[in-house]
Amino acid sequence: MSGIIGIFAFDKVWKASRFIYYGLLALQHRGQETTGMAIGGETGINMYNGAGLVDQVYNENILEELNGWYGIGYVGALPRENQPSLVREGDNEVALVLSGRIFNEAELAREEQVKHWSNQSELLARLILKKSRGDDLKSAASEVMRMINGVYTFIAINNKEEMIVARDSTGLKPLVAGSFGFDYGVFASESCAMDVIGADYKADVNPGELYYLNQYTVERKQVLKPNPKYCAFEYVYLARPDSRINGVWVYEARRRIGEILAEKYSIDADVVTGIPETAIPFALSFSNKRGIPVELGFVATGRKTRTAIKPSQFERLVGVQLKLNPIKPVFRGKRVIIIDDSVVRGTTTKNTVTLLRNKIGAKEIHVLIGSPRLVSRCPYGIDVPSEDELIARHLNDDEVAKVVGADSFHWISLDDLVKAIGVPRNKLCLKCFGG
Amino acid sequence: MKVLIVGGGSREHAITYAFAKSSYEPRIYAISPLRNPGIEKLCKESGGELIRGDILNPEKVSETAEKLGVDLVFIGPEEPLFHGVSDALEERGIPVIGLNSKASEIERSKAFMRRLMWKYKIPGRLRFKAFRSIEEAIAYINEYAESVAIKPARQVGGKGVKVISDVQAYLRKVKEEVKKKHTELIYEKFMRSHDDVVDKILIEEKVEGPEYTVQCFTDGKTVKPLPIVQDNKHAFEMEMGPETGGMGSISGRGGLLPFITEDEFKESVRIIEEVVKALRKETGTSFRGIISGQMMLTTLWGPTIIEFYSRLGDPEAVNVLPILKTDIVDISEAILSEKLHKIRIYFEDYATVVKAIAPRGYPNRKDLARGHVIRVNEEKIKRMGAEIFYGSVDIVNGKLITGGSRAVEIFAKGDSIEEAAEIAEKAVSYVESLDGWGLFHRSDIGSGVSLRRMIEMANLVRSVYSYRKSKGLFGKQIDWIPGRGKIGYEF
Ligand SMILES: Nc1ncnc2c1ncn2[C@@H]1O[C@H](COP(=O)(O)OP(=O)(O)O)[C@@H](O)[C@H]1O
Ligand SMILES: [Mg+2]
Repeated sequence: MSGIIGIFAFDKVWKASRFIYYGLLALQHRGQETTGMAIGGETGINMYNGAGLVDQVYNENILEELNGWYGIGYVGALPRENQPSLVREGDNEVALVLSGRIFNEAELAREEQVKHWSNQSELLARLILKKSRGDDLKSAASEVMRMINGVYTFIAINNKEEMIVARDSTGLKPLVAGSFGFDYGVFASESCAMDVIGADYKADVNPGELYYLNQYTVERKQVLKPNPKYCAFEYVYLARPDSRINGVWVYEARRRIGEILAEKYSIDADVVTGIPETAIPFALSFSNKRGIPVELGFVATGRKTRTAIKPSQFERLVGVQLKLNPIKPVFRGKRVIIIDDSVVRGTTTKNTVTLLRNKIGAKEIHVLIGSPRLVSRCPYGIDVPSEDELIARHLNDDEVAKVVGADSFHWISLDDLVKAIGVPRNKLCLKCFGG
Repeated sequence: MKVLIVGGGSREHAITYAFAKSSYEPRIYAISPLRNPGIEKLCKESGGELIRGDILNPEKVSETAEKLGVDLVFIGPEEPLFHGVSDALEERGIPVIGLNSKASEIERSKAFMRRLMWKYKIPGRLRFKAFRSIEEAIAYINEYAESVAIKPARQVGGKGVKVISDVQAYLRKVKEEVKKKHTELIYEKFMRSHDDVVDKILIEEKVEGPEYTVQCFTDGKTVKPLPIVQDNKHAFEMEMGPETGGMGSISGRGGLLPFITEDEFKESVRIIEEVVKALRKETGTSFRGIISGQMMLTTLWGPTIIEFYSRLGDPEAVNVLPILKTDIVDISEAILSEKLHKIRIYFEDYATVVKAIAPRGYPNRKDLARGHVIRVNEEKIKRMGAEIFYGSVDIVNGKLITGGSRAVEIFAKGDSIEEAAEIAEKAVSYVESLDGWGLFHRSDIGSGVSLRRMIEMANLVRSVYSYRKSKGLFGKQIDWIPGRGKIGYEF
């Protein structure tokens, strides 16, 4: 998991670093382990990266020193994945951020005799640097796009005042384009980053499309034939609810998920509540549809870390326990419906249900999940745990209910999820749900 | 009959085209600094010629007109108007379509325009401040952090405007810095060379909404609108990139645009009428020519003035003149005899799209954009059902050389804007760069996606201004400033 952003000002009076900083804050939910940015300006490309959250890694001085009017930024969920990658050869520099996964690393490396690379973004940066031979970044990028076997979005800059932006033919990873007045163009994994920096969302980058920007042109090129396979998990869980990706408002997809759950499962209850933060829209729309009151059931402690994308199982547990404190009067003596976004091992759900029943005294506990059964690893870099850790792969709904101690337990069906998203099924990637 | 066209760009090519269609079969002359091949050809075919000359020199232009013995002069661009070319022609008794220099102040000085609208309480005005020095402007920027448009206070040919929305407190500092630097840039780069106005920098409130241009013929009393046109100012696709003179424009059937209602159109014309009236009073002159409102539909007023043109727009002129049915000579005569109210002006009922093609480097580095060889396949363009209008190009040794600005404009018409856009888009490929430097245009202009975005934006703006109107808040704004209390602005 990761989030990327690129900003290109057409007027050099602008300082890109601050806009990238706030854009990264908006993308923080896509990765909380490392962050970095590379800024191009009069003195070439300057880079800074570090481990931690965006507002921990940078400070005023750092942003001030990252001087320049175009740049790229990254937030990632893997502890040692340092991006951007900045590579040099003679006078030429290329910096690149990648969100996605490449499957033919070795083959790509052989093609341009790249010997060392510490991660895939560095490999791509080296390839593009070599292929462009100091100029023609655009053709180099389109060639590299044609060579890659993988799913990805990447943004690269060089020290010649150029930027390229690419999305693979599946469009599995989201990427949107926008602008700010006459002053700059901006690209980001999610549209919420545009809102936060005050830019206007214009459109999604098409699957297979390449943007090339310099001071004199913005060119769009359909390098690869589009074959959309948009990630369904984005709509259920990954993206921020105030984002719009692939032309669909994430919030609307989530609202429909809640409505469908309400239509499908006519459970009687006194109160419905969503597990913060992702599942709250499910609970709201469920309540609106069924007339069962919705309540705030849990309060988080500490930072808003996201449990499913924390790197280790241990941290996942700690993260959750620290995070969610039930509000006792909401549950005491009540028949409750709890809606969550996904279940991996069932451990957290079990802890929550046990707590609500044994310590707080909920009368009935029904669990609904806004995603279909999670049964498969994501081959494209979403950090879903390995398959033997996935409870849905091994147990049916009744068995899960027993394990977690709930009165009933249901997932949304795959068909219903597709309906809720509103994108034709053949244009969605549903691999982790077994689709 | 003999006419003289002043100016040598796409707009003037379109004006020439309209005269070439006239049933009076006038002999057409043109005076232009560059050899525009389109104008030159039409002049020759009519028995006239294109004369290279300085169009900013009132003496030279009026002398040429007198020598040629023309019956009518039509001035295309604004700078000759500012320089008094129209005045000089009138002095010699030569009939001229083109506002006199006093009236063209409505375009030349944006500060004059804003003051006039406030003085006469004309709807569609914006709050503004004009500054004579950098220091004054910077002091103001220091005091107020707001969403603003910062502009050269004089018309400098469609550049130098920076629009900064400033609502995120955390980005205020960066933006304040840019506002200041841009103010300095306006002063140094755009205004130093123009010492003909006292106000140098204009800061006005930023508004948002779809833009459109209402071009009008005027005899100083009556105002007769042409079909409404929308120009697209951003250099690049998806409304990205720096401000240009306009990269392409659209007009819809029935003289309207899909995102502007008939009422809004009428209200826009009414604003222009009031400005014409005020301008007559203020200048004490009568004037004959064109006046155009470059407008925006805003939540504040609905139709709102961004700036005025004392001429036809470029590219907007290229949308409407090719579908003009009424004879341009008859229109000119009605203007000159102040009988514009007596005639009706007809247009073919088509949607039109104009796409400008510019050499790379335009608009910010015209030095790089200049001097490149291009080729135009006129026949193929015609066969597509499109027309070409030449802009910033010259003929040197038989070759077509870019002048640094928009080189050519492609015109197409159809039953819908999208249909016309498709034709224009195809025709664009018949304009090529021969030296590998490269040309660019905007493929998104007139596309369904872009039209839908405009409609969506207009609907939003419309619902807000209608609401404000119903609450009696039209042209009013109430702010609260800490330490100063509640401030109500009565527009
Ligand atoms: N007050 C404003 N609020 C928002 N946008 C503006 C404002 N004034 C100008 N603009 C934008 O800047 C562009 C250029 O401004 P304009 O006053 O027309 O100057 P120019 O002489 O350069 O054409 C307009 O087309 C519009 O898009
Ligand atoms: Mg303008």
